[in-house]
Amino acid sequence: MEYDDGVDEHDTPAEVDAAFRTLRRVAITHVVLFLVAVLGVPALSLTLGWWSDGQLAGGMSPGFAMAAFGLYAFFLVIGLAAASLSSAVEARMLGGRHTGEDDGFPADGDRS
Amino acid sequence: MRTGSALLAATICGTWAVVYLVTQVVVSPPLGVGTTVVAGTAASVLLVLGYPSALRGPRAPLALRRRLRGRPAGARPAAREGRGPEEGRGAERSRRRIVAGHRMPLRSGLTADAARRTATRLRPLLGGDAVVITDRELNLAFVGPGSDHHEAGGPVRAAAVRSAIGKGRTVVSRRPSAMGCDVPGCPLRSAVVVPLVVGSRVVGAIGVFRTHDDPAPRDQVEDMASILSLHLELAEADRERKLAADARLDALRAQINPHFLFNILNTIASKSRTDPDEARQLLLRLSDFFRYAVRQEGQLAEFAQEYFFVRTYLSLEQARFGDRLRVRYDVDPQVLTAHVPVLTIQPLVENAVKHGLAAKVEGGTVTLRARVDPLTRTTTIRVTDDGVGVAADVLDGLGGAAPGRAGDGVGLRNISERLTTLFGERFTLDIQSTEGEGTVVEVRVPLR
Repeated sequence: MEYDDGVDEHDTPAEVDAAFRTLRRVAITHVVLFLVAVLGVPALSLTLGWWSDGQLAGGMSPGFAMAAFGLYAFFLVIGLAAASLSSAVEARMLGGRHTGEDDGFPADGDRS
Repeated sequence: MRTGSALLAATICGTWAVVYLVTQVVVSPPLGVGTTVVAGTAASVLLVLGYPSALRGPRAPLALRRRLRGRPAGARPAAREGRGPEEGRGAERSRRRIVAGHRMPLRSGLTADAARRTATRLRPLLGGDAVVITDRELNLAFVGPGSDHHEAGGPVRAAAVRSAIGKGRTVVSRRPSAMGCDVPGCPLRSAVVVPLVVGSRVVGAIGVFRTHDDPAPRDQVEDMASILSLHLELAEADRERKLAADARLDALRAQINPHFLFNILNTIASKSRTDPDEARQLLLRLSDFFRYAVRQEGQLAEFAQEYFFVRTYLSLEQARFGDRLRVRYDVDPQVLTAHVPVLTIQPLVENAVKHGLAAKVEGGTVTLRARVDPLTRTTTIRVTDDGVGVAADVLDGLGGAAPGRAGDGVGLRNISERLTTLFGERFTLDIQSTEGEGTVVEVRVPLR
């Protein structure tokens, strides 16, 4: 019996390479956003007095609130966005024809 | 002019630098941080909002004319033609409302629903007690007294209407007997009926009835009928344009080169002995290729689907050309869900392979690059090859009506015509080529 390792043999090296480069672009964008947020907090602390001295709810400064909550929320959002975008890219750029679209023609498995 | 998000980002950075310099360095004492942030934000917002407008160019009279020409209703010239010194103010007002573009129901064709909405709208404007809009046989809509027997969907009862349709000219009747309704007790006593004409064909009529012997102003009804006729003509032109676009798409589908099929089948036949697995894969890909080409409906498709079609095609060609054909895809993640005209990219890639690389002994690389610019709302697709290129005279021929090489110009012209149908003037199709160095074809279409 032929062993099916689940790997789709449909994709050519050029297609895999294209998907890789597109996913790399997604990842780089994610990293850039991550770095902007991480570096932005100390940069604001250095440049904006209000960022450190201002008072928000509970006496927290905006910088403290951002470091305590905002950054994590931001990381969660961009992480989820990058993951879902990567999945969508992979689904659209790799694999065989789109399934679930009955066009009246027999699919592979129907041929005998 | 150079465009794109990078330019805008650089401009915004420069603006922030200027704002910082002005508010923090130049002035003494420096302004508050809030002021700097507000000024920088305001400038950024203005830049972001104004950038697409700047790319579109100044709103010169030419641009305005172009916009008017592109407007689907396109009814302004008709309003000008129909204007006469004897018109009442009501007619002028009504015309303004009617020509205001998409609000004219008959713009979508002479249907019962459109006729009902038009008649309802026109009755108070034309000074009649009842308004009827018919096709050549039936009342499509009747609004006003007498609708119990002049019912919508029923046959045309009034002899005046039948006469106007038959003769193709205006009929005015001032007596019930002349109006010709065969139902006793019909409240309608006078009528002005004007045929609706598309080209030289009478397709129906509009009639304005009154319950007394003084008919509605003839000029007013005729002017309105001419406007309605224009809208019907435009609707028919739209329908014909859509049919033409569908026909072009069918032509492109039918243009799949039989030589391509022969070559691929020969390749598969040869591989079936040496590499049966690859032969099977190629057959599946060939099946995918034709399934997509035959099945695809509508004029636009998600880029991911077109990309699938292109890579299916190129993988088949790679099986034939082997190492002579190298492929490189450079696809922006955002472009995958953008909608592009169907069967547009594959012919460009096919041209690159067939005319660019096939004739080159050492082969070459075909590059497909796809980008979306969210600010300018454009999708850019560029197909590049480093093949033999196109001679300057042939390139000039491609820019005009005459096709250059057999099959090449036809495909490009077909694509250009379909893009014109879909996007009007809001697309570009650029071809740059240097003989011996390769060809670059770039399509830029509005983001959908």
